[in-house]
Amino acid sequence: MIAYTIRRLLMLIPVLFGISVFIFLIMKMIPGDVVSTMLGTEATDESRSQLEKQFGLNLPIYQQYYNWISGVLVGDFGVSLRTGKPVLGDILNRFTLTLELTLLSAFLSWIIAIPLGIIAAIKRNTSTDFGVRIISLLGVSVPNFALATLLLLILSVFFSYYPPSTYVSLVEDPVKNLQMMILPSIVLGTAMAGAVMRMTRSTVLEVLRQDFIRTIRAKGASERVVIFNHALKNAMIPILTIIGMQIGVLLGGTVIIEQIFSLPGLGQLVLTAINQRDYPVVQGAVLFIAFVFVMINLIVDLLYSYLDPRITYK
Amino acid sequence: MDNVLEIKNLHIDVKKDDSTYNVVKDVNVSIGKQQIYGIVGESGSGKSLTALSIMGLLANPPLHVSKGSIQFEGDRELLDMSFKEMKKIRGKEISMIFQEPMTALDPLFTIQDQLMEALKFHTKLSKSEMKQACIDIIERVGIPRPKEVLKDYPHQLSGGMRQRVMIAIAMLCNPKLLLADEPTTALDVTIQAQILDLMKELREDFETSILMITHDLGVIAETCQRVAVMYAGEVVEESDVVSLFHSPKHPYTKGLLKSMVSGNRHDDLYSIPGKVPSVEQMPSGCRFATRCPHVMDICHTQTPPVQEVEADHTCQCWLYQEELVKNG
Repeated sequence: MIAYTIRRLLMLIPVLFGISVFIFLIMKMIPGDVVSTMLGTEATDESRSQLEKQFGLNLPIYQQYYNWISGVLVGDFGVSLRTGKPVLGDILNRFTLTLELTLLSAFLSWIIAIPLGIIAAIKRNTSTDFGVRIISLLGVSVPNFALATLLLLILSVFFSYYPPSTYVSLVEDPVKNLQMMILPSIVLGTAMAGAVMRMTRSTVLEVLRQDFIRTIRAKGASERVVIFNHALKNAMIPILTIIGMQIGVLLGGTVIIEQIFSLPGLGQLVLTAINQRDYPVVQGAVLFIAFVFVMINLIVDLLYSYLDPRITYK
Repeated sequence: MDNVLEIKNLHIDVKKDDSTYNVVKDVNVSIGKQQIYGIVGESGSGKSLTALSIMGLLANPPLHVSKGSIQFEGDRELLDMSFKEMKKIRGKEISMIFQEPMTALDPLFTIQDQLMEALKFHTKLSKSEMKQACIDIIERVGIPRPKEVLKDYPHQLSGGMRQRVMIAIAMLCNPKLLLADEPTTALDVTIQAQILDLMKELREDFETSILMITHDLGVIAETCQRVAVMYAGEVVEESDVVSLFHSPKHPYTKGLLKSMVSGNRHDDLYSIPGKVPSVEQMPSGCRFATRCPHVMDICHTQTPPVQEVEADHTCQCWLYQEELVKNG
């Protein structure tokens, strides 16, 4: 198990290396550059080359990559070209909000999706099941920006409710913070809820058809024991897999959601940085998100062996 | 003799595409105290459904008991019991083991967890008492190193061991009746014999009656005192085992006996021509008419009555009806 974890951690190296090259090249390929966005189109060649020299943009591209990545390897993500502040500090600062948003939406989607999925499986082919299946289909198919706009419109037009607009962190004012976070979390969690609901329904149904469920019933178990102690535990592995994959969708989704709800999270930082061609910020933030995503999936994989004794890692 | 279980006129129907078809018809079975009662028949003959209906574990829908009664220990009508009442009987007074030991245990729980569960449902023992009960029963069903095995997960045990664990779970609360649905079918021959011996021993020790469901007449001969032969949802012949093997009456039983493998034959193995009719196309008269070598006109139109052809030996066939008419 420990050896397996170490091996998986070592495998992160090529993955993160690939991502770093990819994001670096993408940033170089998009039209426009940081110098033009800073100086405008009227700038003289002299001032342009001076700024390029200052940012190291006059160097050959592999040299630029080397300079960036060698810093990253020792924990120096560089400084923002626009604000001059260290990138890593900004990322970690913003990430607390994004993490809160992601966890809250994941949590909200599970507490709704897993019970509903179970109910749909127990009451299969009834109107309840049909209703749950429609909700989950809507959940996975409505884009979150559309849902966000719709939700904000309905709340403001019909209920005259506006979420607080200046951000306060969880430690400053938990109530106000949750008031701010709950709407974006619902919107962001909807897609995950839909996917998890579908997966829960189908795997619980499948497990309930297994022979060992009949054995448990023959022992004199109540339906509660059958469903919660046995069916759900057996259904957990596929559900966990879909959760691991959906976490990636959530992290990506925060970019749009933070913009719509004007939350100063990592997603907003990335979007602003892309618009300003603030290379170190974009590269650092994307690399960081990728790292978080692969770590979550590693944790999911390790959880498998905890849940299922037949899965052992050597 | 008091009977532990009395099944009378049991009918089971299945709903399929808005139509209802009969799958078990007019089954009558009486199981005496400490008796091993066999039900033998091909797959699809309704023998497992009969057992599941005793436990109240028929998959409903689509299956349901449409008529009949199942009386446990004389006066307790199982079919009228609520889920709550049935729950107290399952695993405690009547328990069941199944054909596939490989899939009959929850893969995510240790053997001990799965044994303890049954004790938690039905007893108020302390944790250490439960643990001791688990060790005792595991030892009793002939599993070596009980303490280690209790910590194992099902996938770490062989098929024979798992079936022993299933038997241990079933016997844990000292049931009055054990339903064994093809308990040896999935096991290889040497293990089969061990499991059957174990079941016979346990019947003595625990004073339990056993309903042995199998498609294997060998298992019947080995273990049972009485036997019912089922075909297409009906009991076509019922007698004590000796009488059945020495003077089988129903053409289907004769066919089954002829198709048994015995040690000294060199000719091709006999097989009954044709196949079991599907539930949608059940013949209106005798259900065996389409495959019977002695078929008569009346067989296609009318269901034969159940006839006592010898003392304590009944058969559902027109052949004997005719004879009786001729003789008197």
